[in-house]
Amino acid sequence: METVERRIKWASFLIGAGLLVQLASLLVVHPLAFMGFLMIGCPLMLAGIVMYLLSLIHEK
Amino acid sequence: MPVSVVLLFCLAAALIALFVGFRVELTRSREGKILAFVALFALPVMAAWTGFSEQMDRATSTRFCLSCHVMDGFGRTLYIDDPSYVPARHFQNNRIPRDHACYTCHTEYTMFGGVKAKARGLQHLWVQYIRGAPKPEAIKLYQPFPNSECLHCHLGARRFEEGSAHNKVPDLLSRVKANKLSCVSSGCHEFVHDVASLKDDTFWKEKQ
Repeated sequence: METVERRIKWASFLIGAGLLVQLASLLVVHPLAFMGFLMIGCPLMLAGIVMYLLSLIHEK
Repeated sequence: MPVSVVLLFCLAAALIALFVGFRVELTRSREGKILAFVALFALPVMAAWTGFSEQMDRATSTRFCLSCHVMDGFGRTLYIDDPSYVPARHFQNNRIPRDHACYTCHTEYTMFGGVKAKARGLQHLWVQYIRGAPKPEAIKLYQPFPNSECLHCHLGARRFEEGSAHNKVPDLLSRVKANKLSCVSSGCHEFVHDVASLKDDTFWKEKQ
């Protein structure tokens, strides 16, 4: 598998995990759920997006 | 936006992102590249934004504030059957939205009031989980309650401006407006969240 595809794969898993954490945090009304959304869900998703964008640059 | 829609949106975005990950060879074609852009950039950003909006909205709800056990007593003070208790009177008579009762009185009505309220929320978490929460009776505000929160609604109201109690002393109103005399000071509206006396109180039962 090419490096670009490997990066896209990792990016998709990070984004998927981040979104699932965000989804889980939305099921509960509690300050810790809010923190889970901000401190775990958002960073995972952002890391995935950055990795995806980097893979685009690498591809070019 | 209804919570169910936000949840479905997040779930769909997550599943599409994972689908691209499991079928990464699709991204070799032009259509696959477009799919990857939508699945790994556009949809996650939109889903996260809707989730963030929902989280910010529910962070102002009474249910959210009372979700910590230490706040139970403060929630019960909203139902005290005694009009001399300011929070109870406001809550029971719909002078504040019941769904956002805590936030309505405990946020600052300034440009960055909402941001400061969120920062205080983080401080609450620090106190609750790291430093150790005090007993409910010992909980105090970090800063004295500012009059601006009361004046946000009451300033200019006839009952506030012309009420006999507010005009007993000539400069009382001006001192209140200048935040030199607290609305909740002794002898004025002093009964607020008196958690310590809850066992002696009677409570209002809302008719269904």
